[in-house]
Amino acid sequence: MTDLQQEVTNLIYRESTLLDRRKWDDWIDLYTEDAIYWVPSWANEEETTDDPELQLNLIYLRNRGGLEDRVFRIESRDSYASVPLDRTVHVVGNVLIDKENGDEIEATANCIIHTYGKKGGLTRGSLYDFSLRRVDGALRITRKKITFIDDRLEGPIDVYHL
Amino acid sequence: MDGSIIKDDLSALVEDRVDQGVFRVDRSVYTDAEIFEREVQQIFEKCWIFLCHESQVANHGDYFWTEIGRQPVFVHRQEDGSLKCFINACSHRAAILTPFRQGNAKTLTCRFHGWSYKCSGACIGIKNEEPDTDRSHFDLREIATLDTYGGFVFGSLSADVPTLDDWLGEAKAWIDLMVVQSPDGLEVVPGSSTYAIDGNWKFQAENSVDGYHVSTVHRVFAHTIAARESRGEYTGIKKTEAGRISGGVPTGCYDLGNGHMAVWAQHTTPEVRPVWEAKDRLEKELTPGQVEWILTKGRNLYIFPNVMLMDNPSTQIRVMKPHAADQVDISVYCIAPKGESDTARAGRLRKFEDFYLTAGMATSDDVAALEDTQEGSLATGAKWNEFTRGMGSIIEGQDSAAALLGFTPAACTENWDHEIHYHGFYRQWLKMLKGDWPG
Repeated sequence: MTDLQQEVTNLIYRESTLLDRRKWDDWIDLYTEDAIYWVPSWANEEETTDDPELQLNLIYLRNRGGLEDRVFRIESRDSYASVPLDRTVHVVGNVLIDKENGDEIEATANCIIHTYGKKGGLTRGSLYDFSLRRVDGALRITRKKITFIDDRLEGPIDVYHL
Repeated sequence: MDGSIIKDDLSALVEDRVDQGVFRVDRSVYTDAEIFEREVQQIFEKCWIFLCHESQVANHGDYFWTEIGRQPVFVHRQEDGSLKCFINACSHRAAILTPFRQGNAKTLTCRFHGWSYKCSGACIGIKNEEPDTDRSHFDLREIATLDTYGGFVFGSLSADVPTLDDWLGEAKAWIDLMVVQSPDGLEVVPGSSTYAIDGNWKFQAENSVDGYHVSTVHRVFAHTIAARESRGEYTGIKKTEAGRISGGVPTGCYDLGNGHMAVWAQHTTPEVRPVWEAKDRLEKELTPGQVEWILTKGRNLYIFPNVMLMDNPSTQIRVMKPHAADQVDISVYCIAPKGESDTARAGRLRKFEDFYLTAGMATSDDVAALEDTQEGSLATGAKWNEFTRGMGSIIEGQDSAAALLGFTPAACTENWDHEIHYHGFYRQWLKMLKGDWPG
């Protein structure tokens, strides 16, 4: 395994671990200020929406502030859907580097997310498309697109379920 | 079982004694499987049911598969531009005919044994057809009634319904407030979301016009948006408005008749609403009452029994598909004026995503609350749900806001914390459950 492959894989592992362990601030720190966090909705059974500006998404956060909104709501303990907080386990695999261009890297990965909450256990799947940038020597996330394969959604969906 | 006994039992489910300060509903209406079966037969299979929006079947051959009650149907755009709706099952051995929820097919060929049907429903092909087969015997079964209002398509499995115009009644003025926002009408924006609620469909109906929960369940939404604003993010039309959530703004609730209900609350910053860009044109073309209502009043409309039209932070069609007493699927669509600017469209969508999805920051909290009420309703030891708030201030007919727009509710109060609009809902529900509708 190349050093870069290891570095990218570790970053993606770390992100899912921080979500599962509810280290929200450390999770946000993995993202650059201008990071885009995008979960398209399904336009039909086979295709998601592909124009995040002018079509409906499940989540479309256009900078790190959007992640801060989510964490603010979770930490407020005032969100009906987030108290009690679902337990999650992300298992990430298939990490592949697609492009490397100096400090800009594109990578894909798959994730199985097991959730336990009021409805009992649920298992879901996500395809990840990452854009990463090296900032002050460390890789950070500048864009994460999550293709959440579930369509008929059971229970709330927040950043830690995806 | 003797029918009259069923009727007596059903009447006991709703204690409607407003003159004595009592309006309450037996919680078994949310949990009982037999009541649910009766709702499917007496309400969903007899009533006008929202099917889709015309823009979802815009062109010849476009189809849209949905359900009336639990029966699969599809709306199909005909060659002459009209709409038909058919039972979505092959006349031969019942396979669903549409491969997708939404698509285009001028001829539908069953994927099971290859029978095919024209857009008109005519059976035009039978694989290895036997001699002397009368294909017309196998034409698709059209539903009994179909009509549209303002681009919204409704159908009924029963021919014994009032006209759609009469059925919608006072709700039409509220639908108009969405339709007239563009001279070209409305369109459903690409993308949607469907979510499953472990709860009774009536909880969703109630919640959609429950102003009273907003300042508790959505308090966190208001606080989150306030924190966002303190960071200086998303100004102008990109801002998601939350001012009405904390209360202290003018509001109202309406029993619109026929079980339809509505609530509104005054926007504190109407200039961030996507429709604001059309203000000058609206002022030229519409009545002053319509303009004021469109621009400044956030509105939730519930049309009995299965659809809600929201024009609040964003604009939404919310469709209910009940599966069991404790199971309902909800599909949500963003509906928007055709021809609005990209800036307004993007603003509308981002507000939608902030609030209206189970992946959003408000609807997810609603769903959690509804699922809790479902669980709580199993406690038959305390059997009544109370709908008493506002009983002392019921206005029969118009309040000043209704007079401004020109519709006449059956009853209203000038406070969306009140619950008197649910009286109309449960009266209609009971009438239909007892088989006393349309009369």
